Amino acid sequence: MELTTRPDQDARDSDATLVARILNGDEAALGVLYDRYGALVFSVSQRILRDTGAAEEVLQDVFHQLWRVAATFDLARGSLSSWLMVMARNRSIDRLRRRVLPVAENLTETLPPARLNLESDVAQNEMIRRVRSALDSLPEPQRKAMELAYFEGLTQSEIADRTGDPLGTVKTRLRTALGTLRRAFSES
Amino acid sequence: MSGHPQFEEDFELYALGVLDGSEKAALEEHLPACADCRRKIEEARTRMSLLALSAPPVAPPDGARERLIQRFRADMARQSDRRQIRSNVVQFRPRIWAPVWAAAAVLLLAAAAWLAVENHKLAAQLAQLETTHRQLEESEQQLREQGARAEAALDILTAPDTVKVELTPVAARPVPHGKAFYNPSQGLLFYAANLQTLRPDQTYELWLIPSEGAPVDAGLFKADLRGNGEVILPPLPHGLTAKAFAVTVEPAGGVPSPTGPKVLIGPVS
Repeated sequence: MELTTRPDQDARDSDATLVARILNGDEAALGVLYDRYGALVFSVSQRILRDTGAAEEVLQDVFHQLWRVAATFDLARGSLSSWLMVMARNRSIDRLRRRVLPVAENLTETLPPARLNLESDVAQNEMIRRVRSALDSLPEPQRKAMELAYFEGLTQSEIADRTGDPLGTVKTRLRTALGTLRRAFSES
Repeated sequence: MSGHPQFEEDFELYALGVLDGSEKAALEEHLPACADCRRKIEEARTRMSLLALSAPPVAPPDGARERLIQRFRADMARQSDRRQIRSNVVQFRPRIWAPVWAAAAVLLLAAAAWLAVENHKLAAQLAQLETTHRQLEESEQQLREQGARAEAALDILTAPDTVKVELTPVAARPVPHGKAFYNPSQGLLFYAANLQTLRPDQTYELWLIPSEGAPVDAGLFKADLRGNGEVILPPLPHGLTAKAFAVTVEPAGGVPSPTGPKVLIGPVS
């Protein structure tokens, strides 16, 4: 006979509730957030760094940062999943290119009122499908330029150097791609 | 130029950190005065964060979850220790102790006069006590700032992933000595002893030698009359892996890359 339904309840808790519990030293809450977002954070770090050890260091670092700055989070305003993904990418690019990307690590500064909610597997899978489908819809040169910008952190001139294309062409490709993505992401 | 960006996509490019120098500078010049553009950048940052979802899904290594929980447990235990230390420190209120120190200073003053004016040892103690007295009278704000720095220092000293590096002299004499406590995500503390006092147009410069690339300036410092110097929490790029630390003598004001003689060097073991 089940004496408690706590694990099921944990998995249904909102990000805001779990962060509040983490601030009280509740390691079970950290475990739930890790189960919810750990694979996302690790996947983006692994894609950028292509090194399992380094990607795990970023994963550990991002979650460590989470409980260090959790007290400053305003989860009524911002999305934790966005913060984690921004952090995962920035820390990874930082390691890859020894360059510091502009980022505010305080959620209230980093994120706008967010409609983005990836707390459930269903929501995550649906958003993953939309993002992939939007990227797949881009012509190959645009998709390549976006990948170099996002996953390698190259500037527009660096992308031009890498691909051998004129800078103007690279700029046009990125801007066109970003316009397409913005429309795709904002469709409901 | 400080108008709104010409293209909507500039917000995304900025949020991605891939806008080139002059375009980035123009946008950054405009941002402080424009709440609307700041909001657009935040929205772009959220949109761009979604690109993370296009990474091929990979499960984290076995044991990563347990390692994270262990680290959390250790951090929480340290925090609880620190709260204990802080509560002890809080009881040490300057207002309560100031009269005690003041009385002690007066007593010492009288004693010094009575014993012997040339009693250098006692005079030194008195000076020290007066200094302590003055320090205790500093504002609570200053104490809080010092507390925050002490806490940051404690974080570095107690973090399991902090490396401790002994720096030894390049030349046999005199025998300067340095210790660096470095944590790539939290910062650097550096203490040196037995250093020679430099000419006014010179300075000691501490260098972090990264595992790749050129040495990074980790701060300037002077040696005091006893040859002691320190660099506490210098601004450094986040997450830099250090191969070694070194101290050189440079022109006052410091230099972007080392030119002068190495006084101390220590590899990260």
